[in-house]
Amino acid sequence: MTTATLAADAAAPAARKADRGPVAIAATGIAKRFGAGPAVLEDVDLTVHRGEAVALIGANGAGKSTLLRCLLRLVEPDAGEVLVLGERIGALSPRALRRVRTRVGFVFQKHNLVPRLSVLSNVVHGALGRAGLAAMHHATAPATLRAEALASLDRVGLAHLARQRADTLSGGQSQRVAIARALMQRPDALFADEPVASLDPAAGEEVMTLFSGLAREAGLTLLFTTHNMAHALGHADRVIGLRAGRIAIDARAAPALAPQLERFFD
Amino acid sequence: MLAFLLWVAALALVVSSFNGVGFSAAEFVKGLPQMGRFAAGLFPPSLDRIEPVLWSLLETFQMAIAGTVIGVILSVPFAILSARRLSPHPVVQWLARALVSLFRTVPDLIWALFFVVTVGLGPFAGTLALIVDTVGFCGRFFAEAMEEADRGPQEALSALGARKGAIIACAVLPAALPSMIATSLFSLEKATRSSVVLGLVGAGGIGMELEVALTFFNYPEAATIILAIFVLVLIVEQLSGMFRRRIIT
Ligand SMILES: Nc1ncnc2c1ncn2[C@@H]1O[C@H](COP(=O)(O)OP(=O)(O)O)[C@@H](O)[C@H]1O
Ligand SMILES: [Mg+2]
Repeated sequence: MTTATLAADAAAPAARKADRGPVAIAATGIAKRFGAGPAVLEDVDLTVHRGEAVALIGANGAGKSTLLRCLLRLVEPDAGEVLVLGERIGALSPRALRRVRTRVGFVFQKHNLVPRLSVLSNVVHGALGRAGLAAMHHATAPATLRAEALASLDRVGLAHLARQRADTLSGGQSQRVAIARALMQRPDALFADEPVASLDPAAGEEVMTLFSGLAREAGLTLLFTTHNMAHALGHADRVIGLRAGRIAIDARAAPALAPQLERFFD
Repeated sequence: MLAFLLWVAALALVVSSFNGVGFSAAEFVKGLPQMGRFAAGLFPPSLDRIEPVLWSLLETFQMAIAGTVIGVILSVPFAILSARRLSPHPVVQWLARALVSLFRTVPDLIWALFFVVTVGLGPFAGTLALIVDTVGFCGRFFAEAMEEADRGPQEALSALGARKGAIIACAVLPAALPSMIATSLFSLEKATRSSVVLGLVGAGGIGMELEVALTFFNYPEAATIILAIFVLVLIVEQLSGMFRRRIIT
């Protein structure tokens, strides 16, 4: 990529901000290193607007997962400030932090369902943040929560598997259930960390389409990391590239961008 | 060189142990006729007092059940407080761990003596001893099972705003449950065997009957009691093994 295009990309966000609506997530100066290791994130600034879909790309070990976790303080950043849905999360009490987390659905590469519980219980868990232990298990949850969980499952097309144990599902089905659990949170934003990286290409494409479609339909802010150029360009409005602990590219997703993104995939 | 010295030291320890306990083949052979007479005296087992013997056998089993159930229930909070990452504070974790270790390392007979002295003779003292013993055993293994629970689901629930208690209830306990049930069943087997011996120090159960029979050289009755104990322990082990095989999936 040339310096000219970089400068154009850098100038563009300010110009576009007006038509993008309010800010959903803003991070400034994020830095993180683990123990005595090298700096994983050095000085990361990132802004995501409400309703926007953003793909975060970068080679293996570039710090994508770490950055995503820092945004919810699942990993504590060493420096920097994070604004999520209007809350400055660095200063929040544990209780207030939990309230912010409740509003952000997080889908992991590994579905992270509780294997021995039913699919429905796993989806009901999405309400743990607002309903507490009432959302512990499908059998003890109030009927309204159960109905809402079934509706969430229906949105990912798996209502018929509600009573099955989570560890009997295929990879693609598990990931859909994880999405249903996130929807159960009634979120304002969705984060996903390589949500389809462990699925075969066909299933991955299907789940990714469902996921970004649901987010778009509901007007949710979407921030996902990916290892797949087609997913980055096909499902995001904007692509942000991480390299050497910093943001190295931040540009509107367009087919013409592909050559410049090449170096962010390994 | 160091390895060689360690081997020599270990050998010396073993040899001195044999000397220390007065191990002697001659003494053993000399004792053989007495053993034979004892064994012969056991036969035929006497059924004269079969009814009271069966009642105390039942009492023994009840002690084992009550002690295990209460012990298992108490072990859960002890395990949570002493598990890495689940404990609310390092000091609490250290205290809980120390207490569980104390429960485990002091033998059950000593606990039984302690409770006989403090709450009096009888099955209640024995049950208290079994509770302490169970917490010492289950508290440790429950904590290990909880620490080994997959971190992924816990992180997922943390990310969606669940409190620590909810994460333990919804992700940690379901993952640890099979192992905890297996440990509890082992604990019941252990408690059944212990509860037999506890009677020897007056802490209730069939051990008291055995003590009396042996004191009065009533070997035929002792034989009945020993057989009854054998059958009870065997049945509990078989049932527990069956449940364990069925549950661990
Ligand atoms: N909990 C952790 N402890 C130590 N090192 C970590 C931890 N998490 C991530 N890292 C390191 O940080 C770097 C970035 O990891 P990660 O954020 O997972 O990258 P990516 O998701 O882009 O592949 C890697 O070198 C990884 O080894
Ligand atoms: Mg990653």
